[in-house]
Amino acid sequence: MLYKILIVDDEEPVRDLLRDLLKKEDCLPITCSNQEEAMAILKKDTFDVVLLDIKLCETNGLEVLKNIREKYANLPVVMITGFGFDEELIGKSKQFGCSGYIGKNMPISEIIVTFKRFVKEAKQKGASS
Amino acid sequence: MNGGSIPLSRFYIILNTHMKDMFSSLIENAAVLVIYLDKNKNIVLYNKKTTDVIGLKYAQAKGKNWLEVLFRGAGKTIKKEMFKAVLDEALTYKRAKDFECHLLNKGGNLRHISWNITPILSKTNHVQGSLLIGHDITEIHERENSIKNIDGSLKNIISSIDEYALYVTNLDGLITYFGMGCATMLGYSKPEIIFKHVSILHNPNKAAAELSLILEHVRLFNKFESELELINKAGSAIPVWLTVNQFLDTNGKLTGYIFIAKDITETKKLEYQVFQSEKLAALGQLSAGMAHEINNPLFVISGKLQMLKQEKLALEFKKELDLIDSQVNRISKLVNHILKFARKTTLTLEAVNINEIIEAVLPLVRYNKSLPAKVEIKKHFQKNMPKISGDPDQLQEVFLNMIINAYQSMPDGGIIKITTSNLSNRYAQVQITDTGEGIPEANLKNVFMPFFSTKGYGTGLGLSICHNIVKGHNGSIELESRVNQGTTFTVKLPFM
Repeated sequence: MLYKILIVDDEEPVRDLLRDLLKKEDCLPITCSNQEEAMAILKKDTFDVVLLDIKLCETNGLEVLKNIREKYANLPVVMITGFGFDEELIGKSKQFGCSGYIGKNMPISEIIVTFKRFVKEAKQKGASS
Repeated sequence: MNGGSIPLSRFYIILNTHMKDMFSSLIENAAVLVIYLDKNKNIVLYNKKTTDVIGLKYAQAKGKNWLEVLFRGAGKTIKKEMFKAVLDEALTYKRAKDFECHLLNKGGNLRHISWNITPILSKTNHVQGSLLIGHDITEIHERENSIKNIDGSLKNIISSIDEYALYVTNLDGLITYFGMGCATMLGYSKPEIIFKHVSILHNPNKAAAELSLILEHVRLFNKFESELELINKAGSAIPVWLTVNQFLDTNGKLTGYIFIAKDITETKKLEYQVFQSEKLAALGQLSAGMAHEINNPLFVISGKLQMLKQEKLALEFKKELDLIDSQVNRISKLVNHILKFARKTTLTLEAVNINEIIEAVLPLVRYNKSLPAKVEIKKHFQKNMPKISGDPDQLQEVFLNMIINAYQSMPDGGIIKITTSNLSNRYAQVQITDTGEGIPEANLKNVFMPFFSTKGYGTGLGLSICHNIVKGHNGSIELESRVNQGTTFTVKLPFM
């Protein structure tokens, strides 16, 4: 197994797709749809990385990011969004300590490669600090 | 001869004496300065008015040099020398001369005198003396000066506000006065328009209705004020703020109407730009929301599609999947373009030279094989251009877009002229002119609107993205176009 991943996205088809794609990459993805579930799962289990949608129905993805950062300082979080490269959102995500930023408008193959690169970088950074 | 009558010779003597008295009295009491000089230019006589002005009694001046009398205590002055020269000239050439000077009166005030100098000649044409007649024009001169000042400043005011046109009509609507600014704004010269009916300045389809409304309003409320369009000589509509007042004569009788038109072209342009920017901003927000909503399902479709394509499938299914894939890609590209238009971009500003930005773009265009080859690019770059504060990547995108547009407007080839200039050390101006097919007037106002395209390809977002980027740099972007003649884009960006 390459990475154990928690996927947080409020849209079921998106969750399922991400899960299927990452499974194919030999990862172990677990999915949930909101902040509450995510925090509960993180409490019980350890993950290599969280893949978090920036726009969740009930809570803003950025808030979830902030909460995760407070409790799990070294856990890499990669943001994923349908907004494309909105520089304001990227700026805020970085400010709240995300490890990377992926647009859903990128070609699928690129999404996976970029995601893996972000996780690798985050892990290296975590190990060196 | 009857008693009481006098002999003729006696009559002449009496008449002579009377005349002499009468002339003496006339001269003495004349409202002008009268001075008679002998041939040595010494005072022989002068009248009361002269005494009044120079403050010296005749008895004290008699026989003295004229200049010493007129310019008492003034020393050697230029005016004194000039007056002397003028008198000498009059005597030498035996011709009357005029001169103006100031004399100091008894009260110490300067009086402005206009002189007429006449040499008095004998029957043998020898100079006997000279007669100086002086008009005190101090008051007249002051009045003239003040009128000149008022007139001058009025002219200055009126000519400095050439966006105003003032014209007057009589009660029949015939133009009787066509003042300052009219020629500039409306293109007619005075002789062309005087006594023409004022409707010549209105849209022929609306003239009757507009003018009757205006005159009705003036009749009822003494004044009309509104925004409307006047038509200039060339037939173009000029947006104006028109004020019409009654024109009354000195008895208060209505004799015509005074029209004052203020050219509001610039204001209208600005209003339109603000409106356009607001509309674009609103569209941007809407597009961003929409793009996000489309991106999620699209992400799922294209993801699942990629996974399906990796399965072992019959060739015919693979072909179908490829078709679906290409169509999904098309949607995806469109959505990306919309997001680009709508994005709130943070500019990465640095000091950039606009000429270098354009130079960097040109190779990208030259090697683009999809563009017509027979296009010549002519560069006229201003040297020593000050730098602007800009995002090089985004500015390159702006000019790339415009140059590609220029290319595409000339499928059969042509010339693209790229000119940069320094506008009063405030703005860098870039003009990109093509000799292409041009844009019909009806489409001109839409070219910066998203999704507007007449090309039949592309998303119609290119120029709206350019517009957003230039606005983000506090600049402006405008275009002028004539069908079958070409289009000019003008971008102005403020210097640092």
